[in-house]
Amino acid sequence: MDNNHHKNGFAVHVQNVTKTFGTGEAVTHALKGVDFDAREGELLMIVGPSGCGKTTLLSVIAGTLEFDSGEVAVFGSALRELGKRQTTRFRGKNIGFIFQQFNLIPSLSCIENVSVPLLINGANRSEAEQRAAELLTEVGLDGRGDERPTNLSGGQQQRVAIARALVHNPRLVICDEPTSALDKETGSKIMELLRAVARAPGRCVIVVTHDPRIFHFADRMTEMEDGKVQRVHESYGTLSMGGEH
Amino acid sequence: MYRLALKMLFADRAKYVMLISGLTFASLLMCQQSAVFCGIMLWTSGNLRNMRAPIWVVDPKVQQVNEVKPLRDTDVSRVRTVTGVDWAVPLFWSIQQSKLADGTFKAVQIVGLDNTTLIGRPAEIMAGRLEDLRLPNTVIIDDLAVERLSFGRAKPLGIGDTFEINDKEARVVGICKTEKSFFGYPYVFTTYDQALQFAPKMRKMLSFILASPANGWTATQTAREIEKETGLKAFTEEEYFWSTMWWYVRNTGIPVSFATTILLGFIVGIAICGQTFYSFVLENLRHIGALKAMGAGDWLLTRMVVLQAFTVGLIGYGIGVGLSVLFGLAVLKKGMPPFALPYQIPFYTLLLILFICAFAAVLGVRKIRKLEPAIVFRG
Repeated sequence: MDNNHHKNGFAVHVQNVTKTFGTGEAVTHALKGVDFDAREGELLMIVGPSGCGKTTLLSVIAGTLEFDSGEVAVFGSALRELGKRQTTRFRGKNIGFIFQQFNLIPSLSCIENVSVPLLINGANRSEAEQRAAELLTEVGLDGRGDERPTNLSGGQQQRVAIARALVHNPRLVICDEPTSALDKETGSKIMELLRAVARAPGRCVIVVTHDPRIFHFADRMTEMEDGKVQRVHESYGTLSMGGEH
Repeated sequence: MYRLALKMLFADRAKYVMLISGLTFASLLMCQQSAVFCGIMLWTSGNLRNMRAPIWVVDPKVQQVNEVKPLRDTDVSRVRTVTGVDWAVPLFWSIQQSKLADGTFKAVQIVGLDNTTLIGRPAEIMAGRLEDLRLPNTVIIDDLAVERLSFGRAKPLGIGDTFEINDKEARVVGICKTEKSFFGYPYVFTTYDQALQFAPKMRKMLSFILASPANGWTATQTAREIEKETGLKAFTEEEYFWSTMWWYVRNTGIPVSFATTILLGFIVGIAICGQTFYSFVLENLRHIGALKAMGAGDWLLTRMVVLQAFTVGLIGYGIGVGLSVLFGLAVLKKGMPPFALPYQIPFYTLLLILFICAFAAVLGVRKIRKLEPAIVFRG
């Protein structure tokens, strides 16, 4: 995989990727030759029914799951060519994660949770916590840094998770069902925040969801079914605002 | 990240307390039981420290200080003539019955010292004069004898009081301090000739010959020379100490019973710590998966887990050994049960605790290394 896709504005390029779980009669073909691109500066949604392979595809793009065949490049770096250690390091520097259940560590304060990616990348404690405090202010949680995540509402916890995903200034932000644990209003606020994140230069946000309440926030939408990409809706956000979905 | 790892550990109060308790119990059991074992082993050689001499000469079949196979009186002269011997004196030691004021009997250890030199005398005289032992029918008793032989008296046995040993009157002229011995009987010191009066007559009455090397000779050289020239067995103090230790190790069930308890402590420690720490890792697997996804490598996570395991290990060890020391301080004041804590015991306890922690950490690390970071995306 060369850097051409990156130069052409592709943040993520997935070509003919397959992934199989299990063996023999228990075999499950989760991805059956997926082709897929995500561009810089966009918020792309991957949607589809449960079990269609969305989360598997997200894991493959994130470099957290090895795939059987095909090619995956993230900002020009072919994941298959990176070793396990390099993939981990690449992930730590270039990818931010937002999870369905937030995955904040309950025993740590919000500031400590947010500073984790920086500490993993070797930053010292004081500069990591200073940057974490700035990010918490940006997501509207100024002054809540010393609190435990369990003292916050679901929406506030997801804001902390967003701050954690952005604190090390990653180029790709991967979100797995970011609003499914939130009410409609809170979910909308979170998505507005994520859309603003996607607009930053050289950045891309990929959201896996089956929450139709947030479809209209997508710049593009990729529909998956039975381990394959069925169709891609271009300019989905613009269309949906007009009420077409 | 290490600070955060410790915060994660301390925040899970139930598991943290369980881990500390398990490791404290394990180190307490291993350290305290080893110390009691060492105390008993020291008691077995109590005679050596209560009747000090550089060289002990005994019958060739004798292996430890608490067994006596009497020698002939002429053996003292034979030892004195050996090259490298500065002096040699007889010593009588025997367990005899003493009669208390209320008519009951208590066993005592009679030590008969050389009439002239009083070599083998107790190290510390608390009351009275050692030289008064040369008066007729006199004895010096230890503090344990004061306690044990005072039953039926209005006031504790003291200087000037009398009691009976094998129907013969013994008058107390001094009180001394001794170390506890394996048999636990009080010491009664007297002269060699007087001791022969107290004890029933036998063909041979000489228990030990105490000797010292001449100038320019080591105790070991002199002991070997005595053996060569007399055919008797001669031990230096240290040789006799270790010979006694090993005799008890080989010929009694004491080491096995203590080793069983110590092993139990180790097994309980490894079971509680391993199981609890593993479940701590399992419960945090989702967070660990998230850390992996965010770029934390296996090596960083391994170091975090090892830090957590060894932190609880060292805290548990500190508390366990601290409690053992407190136990020791309490029992040493009372004199029972035996207790001795040489530095090797805390050192080896630490090694075993670190092994337990390493085992627990390996269980956690194995799980973490196999963990796919993609677990965080599963519902």
